[in-house]
Amino acid sequence: MHQQSGRVSIEHRMPLPHSFPPTRGPLAGLRIVDFSWVVAGPQATRVLADFGAEVIRLEYEARIDPSRIGDAATTAAPGSVNGGLLFNHFNRNKFSFNVNAVHPRGLDLIKRLIAISDVVVENFRAHVLESWGLGYEAMQHVRPDIIYCSLSGFGHTGRDRAFSTWGPTAQANSGLTMMSGLPGEAPAGWGFSYMDHTAGYYAASAILMALHHRNRTGEGQYIDISQIETGLVLTGPAVLDYTVNGRPYRRPGNPPGNRSQHPAIAPHGVYPCAGEDRWIAIAAFHEKHWQALRTATGDPAWCREPEFEGNAARVEHQDELDRRIGEWTRGQDARSLMVRLQGLGIPAGMVQNAQDRMEDDPQLRERSAYSELVSAELGKAVHETPAPKLSRTPGDLRMPPPLFGEHSSYVLQELLGLSDDEIAELAGEAVF
Amino acid sequence: MPDMNGAAGALAGLRVLELANESGQYAGRLLADMGADVVKVEPPGGEVARRTGPFVDDAPHPDRSLFFWHYNFNKRSVTLNLETPDGRALLRQLAGGADVVLETFRPGYLPGLGLGYEALSAGHDGLIMCSLTPFGQTGPYRDFLASDLISLAMGGPMASCGYDDIPGAPPIRGNGYQGYQTGSHFAFMGILLALYWRDVSGAGQYIDASIHEACSSTTEVAIPAYTYLKKVAIRQTGRHAAIRRTRPWQFRCEDGVYVNLVGGVPRGAPAWRAMVDWMDGQGMAEDLKQPAYDDMFRKRTLAADDPMAAHVGDCMAAFFATMPGLEVYNEGQARGMSIGIVRAPEEALADPHFRHDRQFFIERYHEDIGRMVTYSGRPYVFDKTPWEFLRHAPRVGEHNVDILGGELGLTGDRLTVLAESGVI
Repeated sequence: MHQQSGRVSIEHRMPLPHSFPPTRGPLAGLRIVDFSWVVAGPQATRVLADFGAEVIRLEYEARIDPSRIGDAATTAAPGSVNGGLLFNHFNRNKFSFNVNAVHPRGLDLIKRLIAISDVVVENFRAHVLESWGLGYEAMQHVRPDIIYCSLSGFGHTGRDRAFSTWGPTAQANSGLTMMSGLPGEAPAGWGFSYMDHTAGYYAASAILMALHHRNRTGEGQYIDISQIETGLVLTGPAVLDYTVNGRPYRRPGNPPGNRSQHPAIAPHGVYPCAGEDRWIAIAAFHEKHWQALRTATGDPAWCREPEFEGNAARVEHQDELDRRIGEWTRGQDARSLMVRLQGLGIPAGMVQNAQDRMEDDPQLRERSAYSELVSAELGKAVHETPAPKLSRTPGDLRMPPPLFGEHSSYVLQELLGLSDDEIAELAGEAVF
Repeated sequence: MPDMNGAAGALAGLRVLELANESGQYAGRLLADMGADVVKVEPPGGEVARRTGPFVDDAPHPDRSLFFWHYNFNKRSVTLNLETPDGRALLRQLAGGADVVLETFRPGYLPGLGLGYEALSAGHDGLIMCSLTPFGQTGPYRDFLASDLISLAMGGPMASCGYDDIPGAPPIRGNGYQGYQTGSHFAFMGILLALYWRDVSGAGQYIDASIHEACSSTTEVAIPAYTYLKKVAIRQTGRHAAIRRTRPWQFRCEDGVYVNLVGGVPRGAPAWRAMVDWMDGQGMAEDLKQPAYDDMFRKRTLAADDPMAAHVGDCMAAFFATMPGLEVYNEGQARGMSIGIVRAPEEALADPHFRHDRQFFIERYHEDIGRMVTYSGRPYVFDKTPWEFLRHAPRVGEHNVDILGGELGLTGDRLTVLAESGVI
């Protein structure tokens, strides 16, 4: 152990010789080499970029990030590699460097970049990077204290390490898909890649902890993350119910839809409101919530029936209770009902889609949850602002998502010091 | 570099005070797992999360909640009644020695007791304090009541989860406290970001974390679809919400187990050939060996309503329905397709890749109940600073003597008086 307390390498914090927008984020001066693509890896580096790190995406047209060419913005040029919805959502504040990693001279450029960087991130399946000659040892050779974070589906060890995942694969294998749905029906699952976001949060967190360790000791390290394992950690109480009590989650009545098993309370559900696909969630955790709900409904006769007296009775008669509440909510406006119920002290919240959140949610508006960036190709677009809110070193929206290869000359000339002639020569060899 | 408590994780040596209910307890555990000494400050009688089941042998007891056990292992526990002057004085003392305070009280509660960030950081500029609340510290909804269900509803995840083939089906909440856990992930990241800044500058700071914002930032295509296309994603059974209907992704196998494959058909020509070979080997390739299908999969993307792709999906569904789910999963993965198997949480225990090869699960004897307990383990593997399981969840106030006595110097008599007067 080589103790260097409070060490933060000075060379990392030198002002950069360029005029990109400054950051107030805590990670200013850190440089991340980002091989990642699609969603999980880019989510990890989005957190780091939002809070000030210089994240350099390595991109090559023959292995283009599928998120660049998936469903595209209406303002994107036909056939553009800059218009993908998911690409634009997950890659603001980042740089793009066009380079062919499997060309020997491309690999050499990447190693030179790693030598002046702090972290390398990738989310290929296991050992892809190693097969290019960029395993952890090769990185350490050029940068002894490098932090290398790999985010693969199954991790770098184990018999199934060559298997692969998308977000929904990880959700299925970990139990999360099965835990979402109505009893007796096919799983509803998660209607988006929850585990791409969440594996990304774990990767960002792991990198931050490795940086803290490096700050204290000068030592880098290698982090192996399996996306499925980041899902397996999210079902802990159900695993314990099985290992301690012998009760499997796969049993009649599971999953419980929107009802609450622990604690067993009622009402606890989602009810229709006026309009197309409008819903409100209502939960009564305590008797006072139920009593307030009676007041809200005007306490009609059904509320006073003995089958709804006391939580245990309500739990037992949930089908009827939910039907009654649904009849009451059906004609009402979801947001006004939510505000009214909250005013009476009842936990209630409307199901908000993206339009609701971006246009009509006064809470998100008040807290500036959305702001704009202007991209050369797509024009002005709204982005989520970084969360959570740090009082001294807040995250910021500084740069729009990068055009493909937008920052290649910055990397080649300013960071790696190549001359125009050298760049022309490499271009001639199809290194870019 | 194990610290005095034996922790070798990257956060060893840090002291965290956790005043967190069920919404934020996981953030504290994530810190504890990496070696931070997390002291959970509970009201006398215990945190409310201890009253949530399931319980050991279904017998409710504050020290036997499995819900509590999972989210609170690796921590220590002291009890303090913050509604009393003595309780507040002891909390101030503990905060003076803490690197991080994590709290989940309603906005304004701690400042009202003289225990807000301003008060606790006075003379202790390195303190990092994180408040995790349903809606954050400001704004018109900040005092709204919430729960995991309410947060997943308002934050947007539920708008994308549900059914398109069951008339009238509501949006569905994915179970397992994912709203609380998402909020906790954001609090955790905020604390780590602040910790990095403290390494650089010596200065702490205050973090205002909102579960609403955390959930609202965790809905993938919903926000960019509205931003760039002004379209609201449609919920669909067992697959992604999307701006238009897509092919089914989820297949029911012969034994009733479901598998899934993103996109519903193989991705790219090599995967397609592997799929056709597999079906052909069982005499179920139908007309799929025609070159037109090979040509189709050489294209980069298939339209959501492509009729040939729909036919491929139908043939695959019929094929998968002839085999057990585990066989479809293993064989499909071996053939290069990212097929997932829809498991119950406990079924991963039988997967040798995770159970044996990667030692994901943690098995420890629990002396309170006299048997082995198997927990879900680590989300990451560090080669130098390990994730570690060091202790089971604490009993209520289990470390009052160690911490209030041993560290703050209260005598046994004084602790007895404080206990009798409801302070601890």
